[in-house]
Amino acid sequence: MNQIQLVNRLWLILIALTLFSAFMAEQSEQGLGSISIMALVLAIKGRIIVDYFMELKHANRLLRTLMQIYFYVIPAMIIAAYLYPEQIARWATLK
Amino acid sequence: MATLASTQTLTFTRESARKTGNIPGNLAIWAAILAEMSEFAVMFVVYFLAKVHNPEIFATGPLKLNTLAGTINTLVMLTSSFFVIRAVIAMRAGNQVASARWLWGAVISGGIYLLVKYFEYRWNTAHAITVETDLFYAVYYYITFNHFLHVGWGSAAIIWVIYRINAGAYSSTEHEGLINIAVYWHMIDLAWITIFPLLYVIR
Repeated sequence: MNQIQLVNRLWLILIALTLFSAFMAEQSEQGLGSISIMALVLAIKGRIIVDYFMELKHANRLLRTLMQIYFYVIPAMIIAAYLYPEQIARWATLK
Repeated sequence: MATLASTQTLTFTRESARKTGNIPGNLAIWAAILAEMSEFAVMFVVYFLAKVHNPEIFATGPLKLNTLAGTINTLVMLTSSFFVIRAVIAMRAGNQVASARWLWGAVISGGIYLLVKYFEYRWNTAHAITVETDLFYAVYYYITFNHFLHVGWGSAAIIWVIYRINAGAYSSTEHEGLINIAVYWHMIDLAWITIFPLLYVIR
């Protein structure tokens, strides 16, 4: 598969993942399962763009790591904010 | 002497980077990208803190937003990023005409994004959603308007690169300016794909 075929396919995957997220947005109930799936979808989309659109897959390791961290931390925060909202609120309250 | 040595080091680093493809574009654009990603990160921290302190309004807020507008803009942003990587691939193959054409696709996508956002804001106002409605919408307006501005000046920068391509400034081996705007545009896309689930999807 050459680079053009690869980015064409990745574009289709990104579109499909977005439509899936939109479908999830319309669901009445959101639980740990659906929240985790949405966090995972964000992680996958971010990874595709960083590695193949920004072309950092084989580039400077520090740059790639810095960009990738974003798409580990924010999905983790999404799940943490769902599971432990009160604890996070307590930690983040100034007394 | 020290200046000469550091200039030589810099030249060497840039040459080797180009050879191995170590750093796409130049370091200056990456400093800008990392600064912007940090700025968006602060906004996302504000979002999470506001959310855990106000779970009720953050649970109902996304339901009243126009999901269709958010979804269309996500598809448009991803597609614009796709156009930009295709422009880079075309330039590497020595096809300047195709490269400029792909970039026009990205500029048109940017224009559609801005138009959809404009109508979304008008739709919000018609549905009594303003920056003062509650904290969720204040966060929503703060983040999305900031992103709106990025798409605006990002599109303008792409038009400048198209002008440079048409002026014959870039070749298949020398096109750092194109790579710089390409990676910057992908950063704008990355910010939006993060904003979309946070504000429109997750409750």
